[in-house]
Amino acid sequence: MTNHWIDIANSDCILTMGSNPLKNHPIGFKWVMKAVERGATLISVDPRFTRTSKKSHVYAPLRSGTDICFLGGMIKYILENNLYFEEYVQEYTNASFLVNPDFKLPGENEGVFSGLKGEKTQEGYFDGKYDKATWSFQKDEKGKIKKDPTLKDPLSVFQLLKKHYARYDLDIVSSITGCPKEDLLAVYKEYAKTGVPNKTGTVLYAMGWTQHTVGTQNIRTMCIIQLLLGNMGMAGGGINALRGESNVQGSTDHGLLFHIYPGYLKSAKASQATFSDYNKANTTVSDDPMSLNWWKNYPKYSASLMREFYGKDVSLEDAYSYLPKIDDGVDHSWLTIFEKMYEKKIKGFFSWGQNPACSGANANKTRESMKNLDWMVTVNLFDNETSSFWRGPGMNPKEIKTEVFLLPCAASFEKEGSITNSGRWMQWRYKAVSPPGDAMSDADIINILLNRLKKVYAKEKSVFPDPILKLRWEYGPKDSKGNIKHIDIPMVAKEINGYFVEDKIIKGKIYNKGMLVPNFTLLQDDGSTSSGCWIYSGSYTEEGNMSARRGKDDPSGIGLYPDWSWTWPLNRRIIYNRASVDKNGKPWAPHKPVIEWENNVWKGDVADGGLPPMASGKPSCYPFITQVDGVGHIFGPGLVDGPFPEHYEPLESPLDENLLSKQLVNPIVKRFDIVKGNEKINARASHDPRFPIICTTYRLIEHWQTGVMTRWQPWLVEMEPSLCVEIGGDLAEQKGIKQGDKVIVKSARGDLEAIAMVTVRWRPFRILDRLVHQVGLPYHYGWATTAERKYGKIDKKPEFFTYGDSVNILTPNIGDANTMVPESKCFMVDIVKKV
Amino acid sequence: MAEMAIFIDVYKCTACRACQVACKNWNQLKADKTESRGSHENPTDLSANTWNRIRFREVLMPDGKIDWSFFSDRCRHCDPAPCMEASKIPEAIVKHETGAVLFGEKTKELYFQDIRDACPFDIPRMDEKSKKIVKCTLCIDRVTNGLKPSCVTACSTSALLYGPKAEMLSLAKKRVKELGGNACLYPGEEFNTIWALPDTPKHYGIAEAPKIHNYMFAGSKLFSPLGKASLAVGLIGYMRTRTERNQ
Ligand code: SF4
Ligand code: SF4
Ligand code: SF4
Repeated sequence: MTNHWIDIANSDCILTMGSNPLKNHPIGFKWVMKAVERGATLISVDPRFTRTSKKSHVYAPLRSGTDICFLGGMIKYILENNLYFEEYVQEYTNASFLVNPDFKLPGENEGVFSGLKGEKTQEGYFDGKYDKATWSFQKDEKGKIKKDPTLKDPLSVFQLLKKHYARYDLDIVSSITGCPKEDLLAVYKEYAKTGVPNKTGTVLYAMGWTQHTVGTQNIRTMCIIQLLLGNMGMAGGGINALRGESNVQGSTDHGLLFHIYPGYLKSAKASQATFSDYNKANTTVSDDPMSLNWWKNYPKYSASLMREFYGKDVSLEDAYSYLPKIDDGVDHSWLTIFEKMYEKKIKGFFSWGQNPACSGANANKTRESMKNLDWMVTVNLFDNETSSFWRGPGMNPKEIKTEVFLLPCAASFEKEGSITNSGRWMQWRYKAVSPPGDAMSDADIINILLNRLKKVYAKEKSVFPDPILKLRWEYGPKDSKGNIKHIDIPMVAKEINGYFVEDKIIKGKIYNKGMLVPNFTLLQDDGSTSSGCWIYSGSYTEEGNMSARRGKDDPSGIGLYPDWSWTWPLNRRIIYNRASVDKNGKPWAPHKPVIEWENNVWKGDVADGGLPPMASGKPSCYPFITQVDGVGHIFGPGLVDGPFPEHYEPLESPLDENLLSKQLVNPIVKRFDIVKGNEKINARASHDPRFPIICTTYRLIEHWQTGVMTRWQPWLVEMEPSLCVEIGGDLAEQKGIKQGDKVIVKSARGDLEAIAMVTVRWRPFRILDRLVHQVGLPYHYGWATTAERKYGKIDKKPEFFTYGDSVNILTPNIGDANTMVPESKCFMVDIVKKV
Repeated sequence: MAEMAIFIDVYKCTACRACQVACKNWNQLKADKTESRGSHENPTDLSANTWNRIRFREVLMPDGKIDWSFFSDRCRHCDPAPCMEASKIPEAIVKHETGAVLFGEKTKELYFQDIRDACPFDIPRMDEKSKKIVKCTLCIDRVTNGLKPSCVTACSTSALLYGPKAEMLSLAKKRVKELGGNACLYPGEEFNTIWALPDTPKHYGIAEAPKIHNYMFAGSKLFSPLGKASLAVGLIGYMRTRTERNQ
């Protein structure tokens, strides 16, 4: 979230799209209700009438996978009716920048942007890659970007935006999305009202936006709307991702994904041979004195990370040389990992705190792939479909050689540590009870693993032992051999914050070796500081553990609660908050000021960048300090699949044409199906009469993730015992299916049994001249707690069995062009009654 | 203790069912074995193990809009209580000063069907093992120890509130007024569990406030035409509750 949960209460209009927060974020939803009580409008856009829809003032249905089209229509509406916040757009975004004259929009270039290299089929390009040379700005002789503050130049971002979305008229948007025109207009009208300076709108999204081949662009479309309406940086505004797991924000912040290190530093690439190559590639440069260009500080953060990893006895260069390098252009995302496992290229696998046999898209492939492993270590609370994959449905244990180790670990209540919520609040939690039996915290398991690895590397002659042997590991009390006995979590938190590793004088102030760094503005590029995750620097200082604070004062009056826990960065509760004030530092919305320039200081939240306002005559900066040019990107050349979002059909679609262009699907996505010849394991079936129904996935409130924790709980199973497929009345009648019938849902990749839940909450979409049906199933189920499986002598039997396997049996292993998040929210199926 | 009440603001309820689980948790009630009938509603009925459950109802309205409503079904803690009047053993069912109607040990000795039939809302259930008749206690063991009822504490939306009856009644009335239209106070003022219903009891498929109640116990309206009509309404509502299968 750019903002935070409590801030939702400050909003005038809340758009829930790609999320169903009332059901999936029931506690956070109270802030939505608070806003509604204060007069805010609540909008729900969802293929299915959800519980959030029930509470909403405006509900609009849309066919899964058409969000860009829906929102593209909103951009057109805002622009054509002059409902945007003019001063904000002129001053705080790149709307006035002039674009390279060779740049081409999809409308004039067969549905793709200029620069695409790729092969072509009937459906348009596939497996493509853009050469982004034309996605650039015109510069003057001095290298400064050319601008037209009047926004009238036909090559200005503003005019190109207008031209691009002029194609998204109501008729076409309604035909593609299946949303009636009056519903589209109702949403556009309500949301666009927030374009006046003192009103704000916010968007709450979740996996309904990310799990698409155009997932990142879904969010980008909304970013453009938020910039046009001047909603970024404002109280009650922003772009707010609702996290699906309590600490998913924290784990991403700390580098969980393959392409990033802690603090969103980039993973090292093979082409970056030296530390300076690496820093150079990632440090942005700006000649504009008004641009704070925050990533100019990159070398400070990377050097501090090297110090944390290897300490001050290893040079920064050597530390960098120890890091594994990713081959340029190669991705190691989830889908690719399982592809490699399927191809027998991955032999060993740690499945830590997860249940891939149920959680990963195309579960049949995931399960098949695991057969190719020599060994697998699963760390979990309970035996599950992954640790027992070898005895799951369709498996012959005699033929599977994979050796599986199941390590029992502590649940969140059985260990100390921090959890970072959707609003970036790092909140400290204490251990409530000790873990049962041999179970131990993840950190202690990792500690034992490292101690053993060090032993092996020291004893046996290995080619490159230093990365392991020299790894710095100062996380707890040591035994006589110098090994850490057990991990002391506050010590880890301090290492994340960072230390001065030598005495240092900064701006006349002495910082002694061993002192905790006050915050990341004092991190150094010369190796004199360490920090395990720069954005968390400031969370555990000489003043103590900031995340354990529980102060309940709110001097701001807008719910910032600055003394409750700690928020990255620098305890700033609303990021981009400089955009909430005019050039004199006066808030656009004076009744809910985030920051305000008064008597030569910023009041309110921790102001972005800290410098005085732009019109103060003093050194100042543009509001979007992490962007190299300091402004919000309406034209965003950073993504791989286009500087403006463009509608493409989902990889599995009921249509064989894109009503907007000749390019059917996102040309950049990685196509396992084409490359591997559409074999069943990677199959795709689009516009295929065998699979005429659209299908989506979602969650229940009663179960959690793949259900490993909840399917054992009789009180929860009592409420939701079975996998159900929700079907609209018309479709059920057509198929002769009645409430409670057992049915089989089939996709190109697998069959899944479920109970039919016939409901008025699903209604067909009118797409062109035909009616298209959509159905949906929840995640959470798996075979391990069902009655049908065999239970061995030592297997625990659930008190009440559940019914049904994972919905991921059906979902495709096709990922978003930018992130490789699988398209689990939209694929094609058929449903038949089970006989 | 003063007379207290639970106020259920149906408008706010999201069917998160935290109250359903919290009731089982505090009272250590077992789960009922259920199967999916193609609805989120489960268990399908109150039982000796289920004293509070959320009823789901979804209706496609004539204007094409969807009405999806949730109703927390539980003992109304009537005042006077028909179940208590039907009890042949005075100590078996008592009205506590907090307003809670409490079923004690001696309910074992009562004829269960009489008690169940006496309840206009079909709340009492018999525990097959102990033969005791059981239902919501208004968390008497918590409230007399300074805690709020378990379901109230767990409620994620403040749809459940517990407090002095007068205060709860005025909150309920305020909500009814705000909602307007068919909204009503349910079952009525003479109860210690009160609901602000956004629509009629009929819409929710629940038994109406039995005017039968006044008829039988207040005496004043005896045999009046109004009394008879209400009796009929009450009975129809009651029968509907017993027979209808909800979403
Ligand atoms: S609702 Fe039924 S069980 Fe509860 S007090 Fe009234 S009559 Fe008795
Ligand atoms: S008041 Fe207590 S017994 Fe009654 S429903 Fe709530 S939790 Fe259950
Ligand atoms: S806990 Fe509250 S919101 Fe949830 S179902 Fe019960 S009454 Fe409704």
